[in-house]
Amino acid sequence: MELMIDHASKRFNDKTAVSDISLKLTPGVWGLLGANGAGKTTLMRMIAGIMPPTSGQVTYDGVPVQTLGERYRDIFGFLPQDFGFPPEFTVKDYLTYAAALKGLPERQSRRKIQELLERVSLLDVCNRKISKLSGGMRRRVGIAQALLNDPEVLILDEPTGGLDPGERVRFRNLLSEFAHDRIVLISTHIVPDVEYIAACHAIIKGGRLLATGTTEELTRLVEGKVWSCTLPAEAVPEYESKLQVTNLRNENGGSVSVRYLSDRPYSAASIPATPRLEDLYLWLFPESSGEHDRRVR
Amino acid sequence: MRIFCLELKRVLQARLTWILLALALILSVLLAYLPATYCYSSYTDEAGNEVNLTGLASISYEKERQADASGIVTPERVREAVEIYQACLTSYGVTESYDLPEGVYEEEILPIAPLLHGVKEAFADPDTGMAPTIMEIDPEKIDGYYSVCEARIASLMAMEQPDSPAAQRRAVEMYRKVEKPFEVYPGMSSTILDYQNIMGFLVLLFCVVIAAPVFSAGYQSGADDILRCTKHGRVTLGVSKVFAALFVSGAAFVTCAAAHILVVNSLFGWECTKTSVQMLYSIVTLTSMNIGELQRLFAAAGLLSVLASVSFTLLLSSRCKTSAASLASGLIFCIAPVVLSMTMPGALSTWLCSILPASGTSIQAGILYAITGFKFLSLGELAVWTPWAMIGACIIEIPLFSFLAVRSYCRHTAA
Repeated sequence: MELMIDHASKRFNDKTAVSDISLKLTPGVWGLLGANGAGKTTLMRMIAGIMPPTSGQVTYDGVPVQTLGERYRDIFGFLPQDFGFPPEFTVKDYLTYAAALKGLPERQSRRKIQELLERVSLLDVCNRKISKLSGGMRRRVGIAQALLNDPEVLILDEPTGGLDPGERVRFRNLLSEFAHDRIVLISTHIVPDVEYIAACHAIIKGGRLLATGTTEELTRLVEGKVWSCTLPAEAVPEYESKLQVTNLRNENGGSVSVRYLSDRPYSAASIPATPRLEDLYLWLFPESSGEHDRRVR
Repeated sequence: MRIFCLELKRVLQARLTWILLALALILSVLLAYLPATYCYSSYTDEAGNEVNLTGLASISYEKERQADASGIVTPERVREAVEIYQACLTSYGVTESYDLPEGVYEEEILPIAPLLHGVKEAFADPDTGMAPTIMEIDPEKIDGYYSVCEARIASLMAMEQPDSPAAQRRAVEMYRKVEKPFEVYPGMSSTILDYQNIMGFLVLLFCVVIAAPVFSAGYQSGADDILRCTKHGRVTLGVSKVFAALFVSGAAFVTCAAAHILVVNSLFGWECTKTSVQMLYSIVTLTSMNIGELQRLFAAAGLLSVLASVSFTLLLSSRCKTSAASLASGLIFCIAPVVLSMTMPGALSTWLCSILPASGTSIQAGILYAITGFKFLSLGELAVWTPWAMIGACIIEIPLFSFLAVRSYCRHTAA
């Protein structure tokens, strides 16, 4: 089982959203990391087959997904970033409708829907109209529909947006159980969501693939660049103005624990910290932590 | 089938669908009742009081007064009616019935009026088309009444379609085949079919409103991104959506048309539907049918027109990115035949009004006016009567636009 993105590019008039990305996805959970506008959604839509690449192709087990057509969609599950529902549907009606479209036999679909409603904690609202649900609940309906056909390839675009911490934990557990022998690709800019469950990551920026690898391999890229120190609260503004601070935590006694990214320690009190995926993300996407604004200032 | 049923359920779960369907049914019944309210009669009773009647009472009064005129319209009966008319007006020294003293028309002319329908038109001047007054008609010539009518269609077509001998020949042939003598059963007026036309047009608008968001709403909300990634989310879903929209529209139109015809005929009398079309419209109308058959043909053609318009709207829906765009463009095409018929004279207008999907139920340019009119689509030696062209166009358009809508939906890509 192998999903191959082969030199895929997508251009919209004069803007290149995805530029010559090649990536081989094998079974396991993959995290697709990138800032807003990096091209994650465009790449996922190409994988889903709803947006043809301008050049290149996406293949599943060596066959272009467009050629596979229905056979590919039969083993495919997709949760887009921005999605809607037919406003007239209740949760159950919608899942029944989606199950029929996914080709599930009627009896099996009833059982599967019941099971998924329990898993995503929507059982008590299953007869409510989706339009009356909160954003987090709707997202969970979206997750449930993506899992209906036990897809071999599951593509989730920003699946945790709008979920509260408890829901995010449940989602991560659900996905971890589900992901055996399946290809799961999760795009997000909420790094901790994939750090726990994704074995491999692909990082894209400006439509280009910057790096791929396991969490360990990728965090090695920022080894020696992550520092922490504890300092008086008055000194924090200086650090913030001169360094890319990735975390601030107030300690007892008025001191502040600071974590920052830098090629070298800013002060003698700084000690090297163990890099995390989030550090790499912020190193690669400094604008996410306001680093760009700091540099401009 | 399962997906079709679920799609049908989805369409019927929408509150807007139910509101529109209920409104369509209420309007259909209301539009059937309205023509009855416009009926008005007055007469002077035995005590010398003027009695005014409206609505059903008026219909009942006139049917009673004209009961003797009912039946087959033989030349003899027409001649007798003309002679009565002429004698009445001569005795009062007038040449037009509206110059008669009060109450005389109701007393002497009203009972024979149904038989006089079309007499002036039949004897119209072949060169100018000017109709004579009944007083100017020689009763002896009425003995060959239906031959006069056949001569009239030839002269009328020579005036209407001077550049198309094929259309002229075709019209004469058609009229020759019309079953004669005609029959008349007083009580109905052509207004009731005008209201059936309005009913059809309103149902068409409602069906277009229901069909317009079928594809585009999914594109707009992003719901489509999920559905088209499913196993049956392309052709099967596209076909199911098209069939569901056609089924709802068709069922809505059939229900509304049936309710409308049922109410109209119950109010005006079912026996009136046996009246020949020629005794309500032009005496040289080209089709051989009675009012009941005209109602049914009109309803069937309206159904085809609604289905063609809905399939065209579905095509628009599959091409538009928003519901508003598909709705606006769908409605524009619904009113296009009306606008074209009013603003664009000549053959181009006739062609366009015949092939546009909404023509069948269009106001002023609809199939009712085509059936009771004399327009042909001429192409060299070929002349096609416009009602057949309209029906033929719809029969072609329903599968064509449906196919194109599904194809367009399947080819749609995310923005």
